[in-house]
Amino acid sequence: MSYKLSTNLTRAAIYVFLTILLIVTIVPIWILLVNATRSTTEIQQGISLLPSTHTLENYQILEGKGLNMPRGFMNSLFISVTSTFLSVYVGFLAAYGLVAYKFKGRHFVSSAVVLIVLIPLQLSIIGFFQYMSRLGLTDTFASLILPAMASAGAVFFGIQYLESVVIQDLIDAGRVDGASEFGIFNRIILPLAVPGAVTLGIFGFVASWNNFFNPYILISSLEKYTLPMLVQTLRGDVYRTEYGAIYLGLAITIVPVIIIYALLSRYIINGIALGSVKE
Amino acid sequence: MTLKKEHYGYLFIAPFVIAFLIFGLYPIYNTFYLSFTNTTLMTKNADFVGLENYQRLFADNTFMTAVKNTWVLWILNFIPQIGIAMLVSVWFTSSRLKLKGVGTWRALYFLPNLLMPASIAALFFSFFSFYGPVNQFVVRAGIMPEAVHWLQNPTVTRAIVIFIQWWMWFGQTIIILMAGMTAISLSLYESAMVDGANAWQMFRRITLPLLKPILIYIFVTSLVGGMQMFDIPYLLTDGRGSPDQSILTNNMLMYLKFSSSRGHIGAASAVGVLVFIMTSVCALGIFYFLGDRRQRSAL
Repeated sequence: MSYKLSTNLTRAAIYVFLTILLIVTIVPIWILLVNATRSTTEIQQGISLLPSTHTLENYQILEGKGLNMPRGFMNSLFISVTSTFLSVYVGFLAAYGLVAYKFKGRHFVSSAVVLIVLIPLQLSIIGFFQYMSRLGLTDTFASLILPAMASAGAVFFGIQYLESVVIQDLIDAGRVDGASEFGIFNRIILPLAVPGAVTLGIFGFVASWNNFFNPYILISSLEKYTLPMLVQTLRGDVYRTEYGAIYLGLAITIVPVIIIYALLSRYIINGIALGSVKE
Repeated sequence: MTLKKEHYGYLFIAPFVIAFLIFGLYPIYNTFYLSFTNTTLMTKNADFVGLENYQRLFADNTFMTAVKNTWVLWILNFIPQIGIAMLVSVWFTSSRLKLKGVGTWRALYFLPNLLMPASIAALFFSFFSFYGPVNQFVVRAGIMPEAVHWLQNPTVTRAIVIFIQWWMWFGQTIIILMAGMTAISLSLYESAMVDGANAWQMFRRITLPLLKPILIYIFVTSLVGGMQMFDIPYLLTDGRGSPDQSILTNNMLMYLKFSSSRGHIGAASAVGVLVFIMTSVCALGIFYFLGDRRQRSAL
């Protein structure tokens, strides 16, 4: 009885702690979303946890000051979607090559992939920028999209995933049916690997969507700005007192990700648990 | 002519390998090379200047300030991150407590990790600005007699960066730790209980040793990410690490050299190279000396 009682007390204390932690986690996001719907005057009057009705006005202020959110949104979407497809396809292609074929040097490549995952590649951005500038590729989306093919994190994840999916019998059956090696990958393996590809794709998408550093260094013309770059603009003097509009601008950048998460949180959480998706 | 089956492996890995040589390896080489030159954004031709960029970096206190800041900001976020995540993970996986809604709790704790860091930095800038909600709250609640310029105080500003980093990452650490904990066989705990072990002894003697590879993984990936910290400190204040360079990080210094009026690519590359070497040596060193046999053989 006393054991049970003490367990119950511990449990109650833990729930209190978890609730406080939850409030700390959610309240900043909640205030951001609520303030996006409130007018600047309302925001200055005090904190509220209930939404208001000024979303449209706030949006008009954003637009009035020349911030083209729809264009930034489309730029970010285009870059994120294309680089996600590239990294997932090329990553799974390489992972399948490493898992399904016993060629010379595959151990070296697999080890190199692990090593590359651990290396701070962002620090070579200056060399990358100067190289792109010699090729005339600075200020192009290509300079942001094409490097997705070199994602060692995608290959690493692909290896972990395909090791449990690829079955030699399936490959052999495909060969007996006369399928080509690439046909086997595209028509037999990829469909089986869809859950893994979705998981990897979500991480690739979010990483690309949220990436500020690379576009900030590589992109210079205003019409090619991505959403995080527009957030940087929002921090500027033009918007200093337009609180409602600022919060709305920030909300536009995070709501798509919250929606994706609400729909696909299981994939995302399992993906992290499955192992080491690199951000 | 037909290709031997096993040789198809080369074709499958070719796109990745070629892309990595072009977009991964060559930029690293190029960054090293540029760090020995006086290349700027303006000039076409550059001269080889040996170690001059490096000598200048070490002659100027700013570089050491940035390195020190980055370590401080990372370590002070990592300790509470791993501590709280460990505590929560033990509770979530405890068969004695049987907490309800574990999946929902941790899904919500993880949410901040997915949000755009640039927006989060701008959000906390708004929260802590002079007319922001934090001042409204502390003044009305009578905690402070009058509004405070939070972001002009180096300690407060650092604490905010540390808090944001903690806030964005503790949920992910919970998920990884739980994956490690649920992989530990229950029979180990059962036989320990038969031997009369208490909860702390079981954590200390079973959970911790078996979690070691996962802890090292968390430690190393967090370190590598932390050494490249940019968005949050850059957008929280003026992008120069104000106040008093208290939140100037490695990558911010690299960006400042790059974006200075002369666009000093050589100097920016030297910052990148030094931080690259420091981070890689620490990450691979920890992995090699502390990792278990499997992790070590992966290198």
